[in-house]
Amino acid sequence: MANLSLKHIYKVYPNGAKAVNDFNMQISDKEFIVFVGPSGCGKSTTLRMIAGLEAITAGELKIGDTVVNGMEPKDRDIAMVFQNYALYPHMTIFENIAFGLRMRKIPDVKRDKDGKPVLDKNGNEIPVMRKYNKRELTEKVNEAAEILGITDYLKRKPKEMSGGQRQRVALGRAIVRQPKVMLLDEPLSNLDAKLRTQMRSEIVKLHKKLQTTFIYVTHDQVEAMTMGTRIVVMKDGFVKQIDTPKNLYKYPANKFVAGFIGTPQMNFFQGTLKKDGDSVIIDFKWSDAKITVPYSKLMKVKPQYLDGTKTVYIGFRAEDITLDEKAVKACNAKIKVRVSHSEELGTETLVYGDINMDGDGFEETSTRVIIKSAGFKDYQPDSVYEAALNIDAVHLFDIDTEENIMPRLPEYNYVDCTVNSGKVEFYGQSVALPPALNCADGLYEMLLPAEAVKPGGGIPAEIISTENINGKLLATLAVDGKKLFAVTGCLVDMQKLTQAADKKLNIAIDFKKVALRKDGKEVISPMPLVNGLNGTFAAEKSKENGNNITRYYLIINGTKAEAPEEIYKKMFAATSGRKVYNSAYRYEWTPYDIAVSENGIEAEVIETLDYGAEKFVKCAVGEQILFVKCDNALNGKIRLLPDAGKVSVVETERQIRIV
Amino acid sequence: MNEARAKVVKAKTKKVLNILITYCILIVVAFIFFFPCLWLILASFSKSGSIYSFDGFFPVEYGLDAFKTLFTDTVMYNYPQWFKNTLFIACMSCILGTVLTILTAYCMSRFRFKSRKAMMKTTLVLGMFPSFMGTIAVYLMMTQFNLINQHWGLILIYSAQAPMGYMVQKGFFDTIPYSIDEAARIDGASNFTVFVKFILPLSKPILVYTALTAFTWPWSDFILPKMLLIDRDYYTVAVGLMTLGETEFARFAAGSIFIAIPIIVLYFCLVKYMINGMAAGAVKE
Repeated sequence: MANLSLKHIYKVYPNGAKAVNDFNMQISDKEFIVFVGPSGCGKSTTLRMIAGLEAITAGELKIGDTVVNGMEPKDRDIAMVFQNYALYPHMTIFENIAFGLRMRKIPDVKRDKDGKPVLDKNGNEIPVMRKYNKRELTEKVNEAAEILGITDYLKRKPKEMSGGQRQRVALGRAIVRQPKVMLLDEPLSNLDAKLRTQMRSEIVKLHKKLQTTFIYVTHDQVEAMTMGTRIVVMKDGFVKQIDTPKNLYKYPANKFVAGFIGTPQMNFFQGTLKKDGDSVIIDFKWSDAKITVPYSKLMKVKPQYLDGTKTVYIGFRAEDITLDEKAVKACNAKIKVRVSHSEELGTETLVYGDINMDGDGFEETSTRVIIKSAGFKDYQPDSVYEAALNIDAVHLFDIDTEENIMPRLPEYNYVDCTVNSGKVEFYGQSVALPPALNCADGLYEMLLPAEAVKPGGGIPAEIISTENINGKLLATLAVDGKKLFAVTGCLVDMQKLTQAADKKLNIAIDFKKVALRKDGKEVISPMPLVNGLNGTFAAEKSKENGNNITRYYLIINGTKAEAPEEIYKKMFAATSGRKVYNSAYRYEWTPYDIAVSENGIEAEVIETLDYGAEKFVKCAVGEQILFVKCDNALNGKIRLLPDAGKVSVVETERQIRIV
Repeated sequence: MNEARAKVVKAKTKKVLNILITYCILIVVAFIFFFPCLWLILASFSKSGSIYSFDGFFPVEYGLDAFKTLFTDTVMYNYPQWFKNTLFIACMSCILGTVLTILTAYCMSRFRFKSRKAMMKTTLVLGMFPSFMGTIAVYLMMTQFNLINQHWGLILIYSAQAPMGYMVQKGFFDTIPYSIDEAARIDGASNFTVFVKFILPLSKPILVYTALTAFTWPWSDFILPKMLLIDRDYYTVAVGLMTLGETEFARFAAGSIFIAIPIIVLYFCLVKYMINGMAAGAVKE
């Protein structure tokens, strides 16, 4: 019963292979988390790192409030169920379950032969650690056995039991200790299909009953969807998406998740999007299919994809395409499908076809289409039908990065604006630009991050809708009738947005984050959130008051900044020993964690950036550019003192985030 | 009809012929194997004792005299003492050698450490050299340690050399699924507990095998004791029997027969533990 926190977890093998890359997740108490992905994606490795069976290369793993990175598995208070059960073959089932208890000690007070507490001189009870006695053992084992229905088999040996029973014993062994976290590594993949379904619901039942955090690894997306409260989809060591089953299905963040979740697989077509007034024309490649949809449905699509030249993946799930005649008649988005064959599954029929009239419908191509239709419907092979697309359920992905180009939380607002003597004009508004955004008058494209739009300020806006997505609030605003997205994770701002009177409020723009573009070139760049400085690490031993003291330093451009020992420990662990002094690092600070001071790193001021409310200094350290928060205007050479306690360290060679 | 019957008969004769030939070969091979043994047994029962009094290949008269003198006439040739010496050396080497071999194999099977591969290859290559190649070196070393003419010197050499043959044991440990170790570790067991409570009970067959091999080598070895033992009373059976005179052949044979008995008994006692399949039911195969 505990929450888990995984921060920048990496697993890098000695040969340099990265099994897990920058795994970040907060797991709260009583959650049922499922890690899913194809084999070799790092899901089991992550689980084994949580269990302590595999060392963590870099990152921080907390169970409850304790950092458990270097802890032995037995001290982590976790239990694990293995894919191959891993029962102890020479022990009876009772002993198998009881073994974990026998190894453990429980706090008690010193007692005499009759079980009465022995008191010390002051009349207090003496605390001791003792082993479970026979009665307690039997009680606990029986209780666990009862939950799993294996009471009758306690005297048997594992080899006398069937696969399903053995898996129950493995579960019993895990639950009897009442661990903080239950880890299950593909526990059902060795069972036959029917037993698997049965055990699946039993594990869910067990989770409800035990009220413990469960982490479950599987490669079966059906298991993941049916069991998890949240699912982590992984591929090649990277986390692809973490979300609830419903959100994974409805809002996949990339093409991999879209294709992995759901059977039959999502249909992926290739095509282009072209915005034409208030509508968007979707043109399918290698096919005559072309549909026109209202722009309001695709408003979240990043504008650079709407010019009709960029090819994108267009995804529709099988149930979002229909051949039903009534639906086709009522729908505007229609495509022609040449049916090749169908699979009858009883309640439904999967119709295979092709939107290219020469396609065969068998091969997995960018024109093949699978359509879910009602059961036992006859569709003639080789005839052409009209199919209706549910445009509300379209998924669009970039062709190269495979990322969703219609994210649930829009990153940017793309606003055409005019800069006119220190003022920016857009959407019928005229806002004074801070001195830092100093550019020539003219037409610009403003990349206005959704997070830079904040309540409070002088721009009147109307709230059209608000939506809570993964702890952040997305507000769709209208300024002069034009839509503007605002995203905030700040509670105060969230309240302001949701509770605005008459759905109206004034908004401000945080110009630090804004970029201005002209003809595709960035004229004004946003201020970076982190400053990277390359450096090395060193330790110095000295004698102070007769004690040997080791101090650790971050060395940047020959200047030392003392670092707390905690950082050294993490770096030492991540670089496997003494290499810590021979590796190159990139140290990162936010502009707020570096102070201008009398000693420290030497830097040359380039300019002072005045964003109105805040002022920053842009300066150069060697060839590296740095931004520092500073309210005074400075010139020439200055010295900077970074706050070593707030540093974030990246090892350059292997690209591992250590702190 | 007749044709079919002829076919059946032909097949039958062929089968019988096959069996006949097979057994003939087996008998010849068995004879080659067992004849020396049989001859030795017969020689041990010879009354005259000397090999020169044999009528061609076999003794003329039979009797138990050789066995009697073996245990009674202990002035010159103290066979019971030799036997005790051999038993002591073999038992001690067996215990020490088995422990060392099993621990080595467990380390090599379960732990991953630097130079593990290199060590495995080195032992493999070293094992290819005949062991008596190092006898001179061993002799010099033993003189340095002042272990010449002492049983413990032999025991040390035998037990130290035993782990060289850890490969078989490692192979067996490798078949015990690692997930059992991991499950036990999560349940709270230390490395030592895992070894004692899980690996050892699951490795009975290989323990027996290891113990047997660790016992038989010192039991029947000749070169090392011949080199390291000087006093007659410290001799092992193999060395002692070599000192017997030419006329004492029956006694020699009797001594050789008698020394085989403990090993045969040991083998029959332990063979039932050597059956495989102990790990059945642990994991899904």
